[in-house]
Amino acid sequence: MFLTTQSLTKEFGKLRAVNEVSLEIRQGDIHAIIGPNGAGKSTFFNLITGYHPVTSGKTVFKGKEITHLPAYHRCQLGLTRSFQITSIYPKLTVYESVLMGLLSHRRATFNFFGSARSYYKKEVWGILEDVGLADQADRAGDSLSHGDKKRLELGITLGTEPEVLLLDEPTCGMSPDETESTMTFVKKLVEDRGLTILFTEHDMSVVFGIAKRISVLHQGTLIADGTPDKVRSNEEVRKVYLGESK
Amino acid sequence: MKSNPKKNKTSLKKYWWVALLLAAAVAAPFFISEFYLTIFGEALIMSLLALSFNLLFGYMGQLSFGQAAFYGISGYTVAMLITKAHFNFWLSLGAGVVVAAALGLIIGFFCVRLRGIYFSILTLAFAQLIYFVIYKWHDFTGGDDGIQGVYPPDFLNSSIHYYFFILIVFILATFILWRIVNSPFGYTLKSMRENSERTEFLGISIAKYQLTAFVIAAAYAGLAGALWAPFYRSMAPSALFWLKSAEPVNAAILGGPSLFFGPIFGMFIMTFFHAWVLAYTVFWAFIMGILILIVIFLLPGGMLGFVQEKIKERRENRNPTTGIN
Amino acid sequence: MAFDVLFNQFMSGIARAAILFLVASGLSLTFGVLRVLNFAHGSLYMLGAFLTYSIWKFLLIPSLGFYLALILASLIMGAIGLLIEWLLLRRIYSRGWPEQLLATYAIILLITDLVKWGWGGEFLSIPRPEPFTGAVSMFGFPFPSYNFFIILLGLGLVFFLWWLVYRTRLGDIIRAAATDREMVSALGIPIPWLFTWIFVLGALIAGMSGAVAAPFGAIRLGMDVEIIIECFAVVVIGGMGSLPGTLLGSFIIGEVYSFGIMYKPELALAFIFIVMAIVLIIRPWGFFGRPER
Repeated sequence: MFLTTQSLTKEFGKLRAVNEVSLEIRQGDIHAIIGPNGAGKSTFFNLITGYHPVTSGKTVFKGKEITHLPAYHRCQLGLTRSFQITSIYPKLTVYESVLMGLLSHRRATFNFFGSARSYYKKEVWGILEDVGLADQADRAGDSLSHGDKKRLELGITLGTEPEVLLLDEPTCGMSPDETESTMTFVKKLVEDRGLTILFTEHDMSVVFGIAKRISVLHQGTLIADGTPDKVRSNEEVRKVYLGESK
Repeated sequence: MKSNPKKNKTSLKKYWWVALLLAAAVAAPFFISEFYLTIFGEALIMSLLALSFNLLFGYMGQLSFGQAAFYGISGYTVAMLITKAHFNFWLSLGAGVVVAAALGLIIGFFCVRLRGIYFSILTLAFAQLIYFVIYKWHDFTGGDDGIQGVYPPDFLNSSIHYYFFILIVFILATFILWRIVNSPFGYTLKSMRENSERTEFLGISIAKYQLTAFVIAAAYAGLAGALWAPFYRSMAPSALFWLKSAEPVNAAILGGPSLFFGPIFGMFIMTFFHAWVLAYTVFWAFIMGILILIVIFLLPGGMLGFVQEKIKERRENRNPTTGIN
Repeated sequence: MAFDVLFNQFMSGIARAAILFLVASGLSLTFGVLRVLNFAHGSLYMLGAFLTYSIWKFLLIPSLGFYLALILASLIMGAIGLLIEWLLLRRIYSRGWPEQLLATYAIILLITDLVKWGWGGEFLSIPRPEPFTGAVSMFGFPFPSYNFFIILLGLGLVFFLWWLVYRTRLGDIIRAAATDREMVSALGIPIPWLFTWIFVLGALIAGMSGAVAAPFGAIRLGMDVEIIIECFAVVVIGGMGSLPGTLLGSFIIGEVYSFGIMYKPELALAFIFIVMAIVLIIRPWGFFGRPER
């Protein structure tokens, strides 16, 4: 049991955004959470990563219950996320941003006298080359294109050398080409670094091409969970997605 | 792999002007009158207070309106230890800084639970509380009368000697702070300022780092206060009044909070300006208010920030914007 | 502790709470709509008190003089609010909170020296106006009848604000703008105009509170910082932007202060801090507020 949720529920006043979702994410999988708008995908992510407190239910990671742990602690345990609205450092350079992830993960941040830029040069360049931003290392975060910003965020999260990477709509706003290259890259990450990836997505073609397991949420409830084929042939899923454009 | 060409410049080349300023500071006592030397000394001490404020503002993104509380309580600690307990001068100074840092830990514990405006008002509130305690506790602190007769040891008891003492402490303290802000810890503070949510989700406990920075800032404010008491020979509650906390705010904003030396520059200008203005009017708060508004509307980034922008604009032809210092 | 003593302190606390509510509600109103926390709100309060004194002194009309001064001072403060909003505030709505905070902080600095220049550093006082000069006997203790005036005014303001926000078209706009500014603007309602008048109303309320508070205690420099800190405590406890929260917060702080004074006068302020500290630890977003995200 790698990462599981047990009857995870979130209520905002009277609105039940996530309704008793029990899921298992297996180590090494690329696991997609899909569902129409408002299905609760992002909220579910927020519960796992500690962005919102849960109303009820449990989250267990590597045998340890993390349901009420503060967000930063979960990240230290190996769970890192990206945000749907790309969250990067506007004025730090690409290099400095990725460095931040590494400094945090390697617990070097409580050091008062070293020179920050001298740390982890090899690792930072390694990540920069992996995400294809090595030639823009000195550019400020907010001067990048949208697609590059998403790659930057990915690079920053890789700095924390996570075990599970939660990507919230990683291809949001990308062109079909960019989408494809991003997902290929994500697949490579799993192979090269042994990551487990959990991601939310709208675009069905993206999901079915790459996910090993798919969970479908509808109005906060889990309606299907399994291999792509199983999900594709699920009646309720078809009903929910009837009329949804690809 | 491209490397930053700037990195190849040696530190000396980049900071030649620092060496120049240091030389000027060392030579100063032999060229300027005692009156101006006193103002210079005051500017150095208050610059430590301004640096303390800017650690929290320029580097961490939080506005503290209560730095004078740490400055004042340290000054009072030193004054009381020297005059009432006849304590050793050096230990008293140390005690002042420690007391300030301890107070920073207590106050900071509450303040870092808040962000933005709430943080700021809470710092103001705590500072006022400390002010009232010192003001009202007549038996212990002398209340309104303050504490008189705070003298440094004999060999420091002349203007020139004490000035050099202040200068040495200032240089050391500034160097240490410089190292701190460029360290991984300082990096973390900057990233918290840029996007605290992103930093939190990279595994950093925001409260822990903010508290640490708060304590360091309190210690620096305390250092300023500890230097001040024997310099001014007395301590009064006015040192903790909220208007005193406004001075480092003004200095940092005026000089430029995004540069390490901005607050120092701003404080020097303010201290000399204040000394000059005092001959004409007592309404210094009004002038500070006007200065802040001028900077907000006309000179964002402060004076040094403005200059830096102009220099950058000229270089901007080839390279895109590089990161902050 | 005798019941009558307790009751007396309790009623004093209500009076103090009423003043706090008067001030804090103006602050809450401007914050709710403009999303700017007017740090200088306490300065407007203080200026209102000093203006009331001068107008009262100038008019020298027995009994009615004070009420006239109150009205005039409130209007003048509204006008000053207009000036501040028009000259300064509207240029920084689009800026980040640090600049907004610094700008309003600058206004505190300006007003504090303005008051020092206009009235000197003296403590001033106004006697309580007719018919509230005396005291009412409550359980054998004299309770200043002026406090009833304050409480009545506080209640009046509660109803006025409730009526304004929930029963008028302007109130609908206010509530809409508080939630979604862009939508309101898209509906053709001129946001700048709305902001200006809300700020003016807030300044007017601040001035009025200062006027009301004038006979209650000493009029002096330092009132500004004192009251803004107490307002802050009110808002910490009650939650920002919430009317019921402001009521609750005012009540709690008023009572803490009143009983604190009874116990040990110098420590009244400290007690407020303790309450604030506890709330900050247990529930930093206040009773009626919502967690930061």
